[in-house]
Amino acid sequence: MSSKSQAAQAGQALWAKMPKANAELFALTYGSLVTELVRDYEDPIEVNAQLDRIGHSIGVRCVDEFLSKADVAGMGLTTQCQNLRDTAEVVAKMGFKMFLGIQAEVGAFSQDQRCFSIYLQDNPLSTFVELPEDDPSGGEDLRRLKYSNLYCGVIRGALEQVNLKVDCNIVRDTLKGDELNEIRVELKEVLADGAGDDYKEE
Amino acid sequence: MTVHAFHIFDRKGKTLFTKRYSSIVKNQPVQDAELLSEQRKLIFGMLFSLRELVGSLTPEGESPALHSVRTGAGTLHCYETISGLRMALYTNNNPNMGSNARNLDTSKTSFQNALKHIYSELWVDCVVRSPLYRPGDIQVDGNGNDVGRFDIRSTNFEKKLDAYLASMPWFR
Repeated sequence: MSSKSQAAQAGQALWAKMPKANAELFALTYGSLVTELVRDYEDPIEVNAQLDRIGHSIGVRCVDEFLSKADVAGMGLTTQCQNLRDTAEVVAKMGFKMFLGIQAEVGAFSQDQRCFSIYLQDNPLSTFVELPEDDPSGGEDLRRLKYSNLYCGVIRGALEQVNLKVDCNIVRDTLKGDELNEIRVELKEVLADGAGDDYKEE
Repeated sequence: MTVHAFHIFDRKGKTLFTKRYSSIVKNQPVQDAELLSEQRKLIFGMLFSLRELVGSLTPEGESPALHSVRTGAGTLHCYETISGLRMALYTNNNPNMGSNARNLDTSKTSFQNALKHIYSELWVDCVVRSPLYRPGDIQVDGNGNDVGRFDIRSTNFEKKLDAYLASMPWFR
């Protein structure tokens, strides 16, 4: 599909223009954030929820930056995404590439075209990370922690700003022994553009 | 030729930013804030309805987007992003385009480019990246009773916007 290579090329071009930060600083900062959250909340499920919330906040801001840069690069996004498949390509090939510099793949589209998966070969957030082994004396089970849950929040927040309500989950994680990272994205509903409370008729 | 006003609305119609540049106001008494806010709501309502209409009128495959609304007194140039941010620039009808007085087409595209530039260079750079920015919680009018709401004056968006618009040949 020509749109696939278009998206990949555009992603490459956008990545080249973005200011870069040190990858180790990034990974270590995220690591210390997660460590603090674990210390504060103790329950890994709660930490996952907090990471999702933080990611949502990031996604809402990232989408504006992405749309403005992509528009300027002449991508004409209004005509590009006709269906969820195109959206998935854009998110993986352009979005992930532009902000993180990594190559992400899409696949595993469901029958009704409402779900897809994003595959990440290497995850810049988990560069120096090891999850501890199960603690036999009880205590919190950190194997239930979804270390990269931030990505789920970012995708959810960003797509919400373009009227797509989605649910994201990490299904495979290299930190838990799988060979690649997989994020499953499900479209819940397409929101309608509405005017806010100020405009409600009496 | 002047720029009279500039407004930015979010997806729900809330005003994120508004500024009047017109020098004709000195002949009129200062307009009530209520009135101005009503006026903004009407502008948003018009843009919203027109967008729906334009969407249904456009032939298949073309991208529907409202560029401008022209009246006898002035023109309202609009730009809308996919994330729902709408910008509206109200100007006079005969912009001075600099050295060559061209046909209307170039004046339209140059306003679109200007609005695009305002979005990507000024809005994203100054406001979205500000650590205090909270989408959905912006206060516009200066009478800040609520603490903790984001005030756009904490960024230098307005200064940069003024500088950018002043550098355009059609500003004054």
